[in-house]
Amino acid sequence: MKRLAKDALARRGMSALAALPGLLVLIIVLGLFLKSRAILAVQPLSRLVFGTSWHPLRGEFGLLPFISGTVWVTVTALALAVPISILTAIYLSEFAPRSVRESARPVVDVLAGLPSVVFGVWGVIVVVPFVGRVLAPLFGASSSGYSVLAAGIVLAIMIFPTVIHISLEVFASIPLSLREASLSLGATRWETARHVVLRKGSQGILAASVLGFSRAFGETMAVLMVAGNVPAVPKSLFDPGYPLPALIANNYGEMMSVPRYDSALMLAALVLLAVVLFFNVLARRILVRAERRSR
Amino acid sequence: MRKTALFAATLVAALAAFAGAGPGPDRDSARAATAVPELKGRLSLSGAWALYPLALKWAEEFQRLHPGVRIDVQAGGAGKGVADALAGAVDIGMLSRDIAPAETAKGALAVAVAKDAVVPTVSRANPFLAEILRRGLKRNEFAAIWVAQTLRSWDELFGRKPGRPIHVYTRSDACGAAETWAAYLGRRQEDLNGIGVYGDPGVADAVKRDPLGVGFNNINFVYDAKTKRPVEGLEVCPIDLDGNGTLDPRERVYATRDDIIKAIAADVYPSPPARELFFVLKGKPASPALAEFLKWALTGGQALVPDAGYLPLGKERLAQGLAAIGGTDTGR
Repeated sequence: MKRLAKDALARRGMSALAALPGLLVLIIVLGLFLKSRAILAVQPLSRLVFGTSWHPLRGEFGLLPFISGTVWVTVTALALAVPISILTAIYLSEFAPRSVRESARPVVDVLAGLPSVVFGVWGVIVVVPFVGRVLAPLFGASSSGYSVLAAGIVLAIMIFPTVIHISLEVFASIPLSLREASLSLGATRWETARHVVLRKGSQGILAASVLGFSRAFGETMAVLMVAGNVPAVPKSLFDPGYPLPALIANNYGEMMSVPRYDSALMLAALVLLAVVLFFNVLARRILVRAERRSR
Repeated sequence: MRKTALFAATLVAALAAFAGAGPGPDRDSARAATAVPELKGRLSLSGAWALYPLALKWAEEFQRLHPGVRIDVQAGGAGKGVADALAGAVDIGMLSRDIAPAETAKGALAVAVAKDAVVPTVSRANPFLAEILRRGLKRNEFAAIWVAQTLRSWDELFGRKPGRPIHVYTRSDACGAAETWAAYLGRRQEDLNGIGVYGDPGVADAVKRDPLGVGFNNINFVYDAKTKRPVEGLEVCPIDLDGNGTLDPRERVYATRDDIIKAIAADVYPSPPARELFFVLKGKPASPALAEFLKWALTGGQALVPDAGYLPLGKERLAQGLAAIGGTDTGR
């Protein structure tokens, strides 16, 4: 009897704890929504989300520059990070000698643990001048270096470890016998990596990219320091951008002095959350579909 | 980042409140004694970069006078200072612009503690440096660079065909320097265009590195505290105050920190961009340590002001501040 009671207690207790994270997301969404109602009451959502003018004192709270800034920076970062990370992971798992692989792992993990301010400072000192003085003239553009591209590069370096680490785990889980079968049929190592390892691990790689994406999307400090923070929709990689998290962090202080400013920032946070959720759900669906197809 | 900082600050504030609740010295008896032996507690300050160096000096000296008091100072922009003070996360918010009516309405009490100025800056590597230093820039030229964006190249500025672009920098964080610089141009911070860089040191660094850059900084981030000359690589962009197209001797006030401070005191350098700096409280000071620190900053602490690179306030202004925080005695 006592054992059964304990069992029931454990089950109930743990299910309550398991419900907590889900509930927390709901509470956050609800809180942000309640706070942003003040601004939604005076301006329609479409004008806020698609407005391009950000002048809080004049009551103009267009979020489009920030939303597009976020998308530009994130897409740039992913375009740089994902191919490089996957090729690195393939090399480490399929080609590299054991000693190299064993010593590369801790290096990757250290990179993952560095605080983002360190990346930001490094970005200001190295990446911003590199973009401004080397890359921009190369493409015939004039840029101070504080740009979408600089933010994308810094962010790409920040998401390398996540994507490399998970891809390595994925490749390690692929049975050795599959590789041996491929090699015994005369395939080269590269052919094996491409047609067997990559194919079999494609879902895992997608999951890795999504995790990297989530990190990139919400990253604040490092991006804020190099992105240039100009509230206008960027037109090229060398234009400055102003991502949503930077908007919230920069203007947190102005909240008290301008009417409805706090409400507009809460709406920005809600939009950020909604976009992250949207992409996560989308990636999950692609993953599920790919899984079904491969069966 | 911010969240953890806020959390830490809240924790510190909570500890301070806790410590303040314990048996402390009676305020009246403490005032009666010449030295205050038993003053205990924790104080936290956050906000304007402009006040940060002075607040650090004051904190250091005050902790030496009162070993029982711990003071934490964080910089993060004027807006953050007010927001933190109003949220109760810190005891004192540092503010480097005038207080907004909306902030006073929420219970913010601003006490002027010193004066300094914002100055426009260029890189020492600027190809037009000699011309800039010879003739200075007029107010309407600054406005055309930062606000209207009609002046886009350095060559144009000196009456030639458009050529090398002006890289305009401003602050990304809500801050007093940008608000004050905008006020000089008849605008507000959100009207200033340019690449937004975080923090006062950030802008100084960006301008230093960019030969075509122009920005603005609080004087204490332009002049080196030891040599009192502009820091390596940075140069003040002189203002042609009377707009006659040349820099007269009385307008050449930027060689050393002492010169610019003298110019502010003599009202040669205008306000804005010179401005008063404030401590912001949420209502009257509650703990004895806080009250004593504020009183000391406005009396004994003023002696440190010139050395730290600021302009001390006049007697009347100090007396007003003391009255506002509830200290009736006006100096010792």
